[in-house]
Amino acid sequence: MSPGPARDRLEAVLNHEAHLLPVQGPIGVFIHHNTLHAFQHLPFEQAVRDAARTFGAEPFMEERAFREALARGRILPEDLDAVLAREPDVELWSGGLTRTTLRRAMLWPGVGDFRPETVEWAIAESPLGSDPRLDFCLRHMPEPAPATAVRPVRPRDGVLAAAHADIDEVVEPHLIKLCAAFLDQGLANWPMPYREEGFWRATLRLLAQPATLTGGGLRRLDEFARMARPWDAPDAVLHWLGLLGVDEDDWPGLIQAELLALPGWAGLMHTLEHDPALAPHHRAPASLMDFLAVRLLLTVAATASVTGDLTSWRLTRPPAAPHPRAQLARAATLADAIGLAGLPSPALAALPGDDRRRLFAAIEEFGAWERRRVLQLAYERRHERQVLLPLAEHRRSSVPATPARAAAQVIFCIDEREEAIRRHLEETDPGIETLGAAGFFGAAVNFAGIDDAHGVPLCPVVVKPRHAVEERPAKGEGEVYARRRALRRVGGQLVRHWFVSSRTLLRGWLGTAGLGLLSIFPLAARVLSPRLHGEMAKRLYAAFLPEPITELAFMRDGAQGQVAEGGLLRGFTVEENTDRVTAVLGAAGLRQGLARLVTVLGHGSTSLNNPHESAHDCGACGGRRGGPNARLFAAMANHPDVRTQLRERGLEIPADTWFVGGYHDTCSDDIDLFDLNLAPPAHAADLLRVRAALDRARALSAHERARRFEAASYSLDAAGGLRHAQVRAEHLAEPRPEYGHCTNAVCIVGRRSTTRGLFLDRRAFLVSYDASQDPENQSLAAQLGAVVPVCGGISLEYYFSFVDNEAYGCGTKLPHNVTGLVGVMNGYESDLRTGLPWQMVEIHEPVRILFVVESSPERVLDTMRKNPLVWEFLVNRWIRLAVLDPAGGPPLAYRDGAWEPVEGGDVPLPVAPSSMSWYAGRREHLPIARIQGAAA
Amino acid sequence: MMETLLLAIVATPGVTFLALGFCWLAGWTPTERFVSRVTAVAFSLLTAGAAWLAWLMFAAGVVSVRISLGEWFRAGGYHFPLALQVDRLSLPMVAITAVLGGLAGSFSVRYVHRDPGFFRFFLLLNLFAFGAITAFTAGSFDLLIGGWELVGVTSVLLIAFFGDRPAPARNAVRVFASYRIADIGILLASFVLHHGGSTLFTPMLPGDWPGQGSRLAAPDALLAGFLLLTAASGKSAQGPFAGWLPRAMEGPTPSSSIFYGAISIHLGAYLLLRFEPVIQSAPPVAWATVIVGALTALTGTASHRVSSDVKTSLAYASMTQVGVIFVEIGLGYPRLALWHIVGHAVVRTLQLLRAPSMLHDYHKMHAAVGGDLRPTGQWMPAVLPMGPRMWLYRFGLEGGFYDAWLDRLVIAPVLRLARALSGRSKDAPA
Repeated sequence: MSPGPARDRLEAVLNHEAHLLPVQGPIGVFIHHNTLHAFQHLPFEQAVRDAARTFGAEPFMEERAFREALARGRILPEDLDAVLAREPDVELWSGGLTRTTLRRAMLWPGVGDFRPETVEWAIAESPLGSDPRLDFCLRHMPEPAPATAVRPVRPRDGVLAAAHADIDEVVEPHLIKLCAAFLDQGLANWPMPYREEGFWRATLRLLAQPATLTGGGLRRLDEFARMARPWDAPDAVLHWLGLLGVDEDDWPGLIQAELLALPGWAGLMHTLEHDPALAPHHRAPASLMDFLAVRLLLTVAATASVTGDLTSWRLTRPPAAPHPRAQLARAATLADAIGLAGLPSPALAALPGDDRRRLFAAIEEFGAWERRRVLQLAYERRHERQVLLPLAEHRRSSVPATPARAAAQVIFCIDEREEAIRRHLEETDPGIETLGAAGFFGAAVNFAGIDDAHGVPLCPVVVKPRHAVEERPAKGEGEVYARRRALRRVGGQLVRHWFVSSRTLLRGWLGTAGLGLLSIFPLAARVLSPRLHGEMAKRLYAAFLPEPITELAFMRDGAQGQVAEGGLLRGFTVEENTDRVTAVLGAAGLRQGLARLVTVLGHGSTSLNNPHESAHDCGACGGRRGGPNARLFAAMANHPDVRTQLRERGLEIPADTWFVGGYHDTCSDDIDLFDLNLAPPAHAADLLRVRAALDRARALSAHERARRFEAASYSLDAAGGLRHAQVRAEHLAEPRPEYGHCTNAVCIVGRRSTTRGLFLDRRAFLVSYDASQDPENQSLAAQLGAVVPVCGGISLEYYFSFVDNEAYGCGTKLPHNVTGLVGVMNGYESDLRTGLPWQMVEIHEPVRILFVVESSPERVLDTMRKNPLVWEFLVNRWIRLAVLDPAGGPPLAYRDGAWEPVEGGDVPLPVAPSSMSWYAGRREHLPIARIQGAAA
Repeated sequence: MMETLLLAIVATPGVTFLALGFCWLAGWTPTERFVSRVTAVAFSLLTAGAAWLAWLMFAAGVVSVRISLGEWFRAGGYHFPLALQVDRLSLPMVAITAVLGGLAGSFSVRYVHRDPGFFRFFLLLNLFAFGAITAFTAGSFDLLIGGWELVGVTSVLLIAFFGDRPAPARNAVRVFASYRIADIGILLASFVLHHGGSTLFTPMLPGDWPGQGSRLAAPDALLAGFLLLTAASGKSAQGPFAGWLPRAMEGPTPSSSIFYGAISIHLGAYLLLRFEPVIQSAPPVAWATVIVGALTALTGTASHRVSSDVKTSLAYASMTQVGVIFVEIGLGYPRLALWHIVGHAVVRTLQLLRAPSMLHDYHKMHAAVGGDLRPTGQWMPAVLPMGPRMWLYRFGLEGGFYDAWLDRLVIAPVLRLARALSGRSKDAPA
């Protein structure tokens, strides 16, 4: 084969295998997404199992966890029956045991967990020890399929089997160091030389140095590095594959295995290759082919150094002998299941051979993964009923909302963490109405604040902003701004200088011997009294850093416009502004009924000791903070020209309505409101009222959040809850600044009146949508097109990081080591860890998110069908869907193309006087309740 | 009064460790709240005790307090003296152990919250404090070795804190092996010192620190000096033992900070300072100390400059400054070295505790300077041509080729020898 087609084929194989790699970019901007995006074209239950085999991971929660859920009533036996009833049943023999009865017994009370390693002990501990059925099964069970000889997939497996040496242990330390150095964004004082030439070339240049030494396992590295000098990366890979004696048919297997040996680093190379702009500071030309070439170079050198040649690793090896007690474990499982199914020993012995074989087959087919699949469905069924039945009851029994004009409206992000503060706000001041809209508020912009180094996109990741908006000092404030900027620069340079010089040789000597002792003050303050430290820092800033009044440069005259850097349009025309305001207000059902004061709150999260800080920011703002979007939206909606155009389009903003933008920090529960100087004097009283209600509500929200933290005492009052939250935000040591999206489980798309007054336990995304104002389903399509991938992605990322925190998540945070400002490793050197840390997911309930849409079933399905991505989420069951038909009737759950009414009296709707009285003294997930104080 | 106080200071962490350990042996794993309160009280007492003792000594104009608690045991001509002493060298060391250990402990109450190893972590933290304070206040070399070994053991156990993953266990074994080899030096040194009489510091090193004399005969001083330098290099990751330090970054961040930022890493330097008169009386040892320190500092700073992860970068930064401290000791500036130890310990503790906040801090700094963070080391092209620079980069990236020569010169021959002795072939499973 000539080199051209071989290269093409190699590219194709690599591209294909690369799909399995994590797509997480540099960790400073964390985007939640479906961990198994590569398997999304498959139905969920199959995808999790295929992926589990590929990645060596768990598909569902452990069976033990499900059994505990059964024991505490989180799953009811009737859920098991209902789920099993959805699947085909068969009699194992005429008039005898049915498959469903057998499966039911194996689920609950549940068949034992018999493993070869511990089976003797497990039998001794159980009644099986004296059970004749065990012996019977041992004698009569079918022979296991003979294991076949295997050919090692990659050199490491072959060398391990032949020479008992794990070459990954010599390859990976080098590879990790090189990758980290290549992708570093500024942590190292001294960047990797020649990295602008790419990973492969830069590595070869380093390896070409004379007078170096490598360990025995890489003795022959120099020799191969010299050989590779004339080759580019694809050439090198082809040569290595040839030297290793790998046929073209075996490329995919080897390449996949080599990539998945360090999926984090390979994945980041791949992600940065396709979107170099994700690199926060230095755009090194990353390439997965380069990575593979380097990895294979080291592998080839190690294989040659250890085994002396490059092909003997390929020898087929006899399969590993089965565990001596594997058969006993099988028999124990069979006997245990037969016992649970209630088949007595004589009846078993009397079974004709065919029936017996069918029985054994039925038991072995219902293995651990199958059982866990059914348990997962039962777990989700209970959750579905716990949500839908109270929702329906609330809808049935609540008084229709009065059409009187609300005293004020506050628009939050749809984020489920805002559910509590919305409820508390309405509890505190029933005259206030809250709404939910995706937190970029329609304003997809590249935004640069006065304190920012450069602009960043503030919009969902799937959108590329076309407009740039800058914050600039207001008229007459230029001088203050200049002073601020100069001071910040001096401060920043000082910090930078200290950062570098305290670590190097000579300056470090001055720094540590001379000034070192001074560090005791910040050290003691930050550890012993972080709030005081934060307060003092704030005061110092306030005293020395002047704060100019600023405004947003967001209006553009005429369509030709001025172009900012990067080909972005500077600001928006009146027309474009009007589009955006219409989109948000229309979708939220606010074409009429606007209050005198409408507050729009973006959100984000600030914390220390948290490389995953960005994962707590606003997903709709691309993992960044949404304050500027809220401020921008308010400015747009207040603009007189925009209002005129809006009126022409039939969206009347009353003359006495004023919009205010703000920012909610979900970690410290601080709320800032912007541009209050611009508000008309007539709105002073409204502002006071809303500010007071927000202050009360944020304290209550912090208090409610604190109930989840073991370290927060039950006796805290609201102010104490707020303090507790603030300490978490300020503390250097806090691995759980907030629980983020943990526990998220539901997304309700509908009017607030449907959910107002309900305690949803911060577990429901709330999207304001009024079907009666959306006859063409346009708003619905926009809403679902955004929230299904975003909320679905969040929910699935939490699902996978929870069910297998080591394989899909990044493990405990405690040994995490920030590397290159792009990610975290475990300790000294490891793969780059992707996914969520245990501290973020530890109280999660792994259910697929349940979408509840308030519209008719036909309208919802028609709308979803038109969006291929959304449709894939639905039909492959990566999300669950139900509708509340505004025409009435019970909630309908979508099951594989059919709608099933969800009815029954098994979940009541309890009533509590206030949120606080409902959750007081409890840390666990709470049922939905009606809060009397919060109902309109 | 001062004697009682000294005794109380040494006893506090030991009693805390024993009390917690007994609870656990008796079948009750104390709750997080209980463990953290007890530890907070212990470290507060320790800090207050150290401050009080310092004040008493200052007020009375006393520069050294010595007490003898008799002997632990006697065997033939050997006796193990139990003697404590505190002077202008040990008091600052005790003080930083109390203060930095307490701060790291307070930090850990939050950091390690809900981790299955919470109790183990605090048990080891208290044992470590006991070991460190024993080493710093020991009045005899034998007792110092006891404290020294406790620090080593707790250090290794905390590196292997996440023992369910292979890497921490493997790296802990590496560190353990380095400690063992270096500790051959401290054991042989104790034989040499016994050869010269008692190992009590009082007769051996007359006078008050600094400016003590040495009663060791010149050949003994030379031999003991080299052995002590070996031991000190092992504990402080200097010279031939430099390579273990980055591998020690496997543990939870606060233990990395208290061990390799603050106390344990300076324990070797403390040993040299304690025997400073002996070293100065044997000039070859003093030169060797300077050379070891200087070479380590240069290697360390090269590796630091190319390290792209926070914890390795800080490990090499620590190694660099401890190298400088060795140079100061070798050149005969003990006061400066002590001052340097204290300042360095405080700075590094804070930096390691802030390591997980690195992204946050860096982005703030980046924004403050308006995105204008030029890479450092821009002077280098003017000084070094590209060839040597590339070589230096590789040298730094591979930690001075430390692992490679260790593998070739030590591990491989030892394995070969072991295989030859056991008569097993190369292909047998290791």
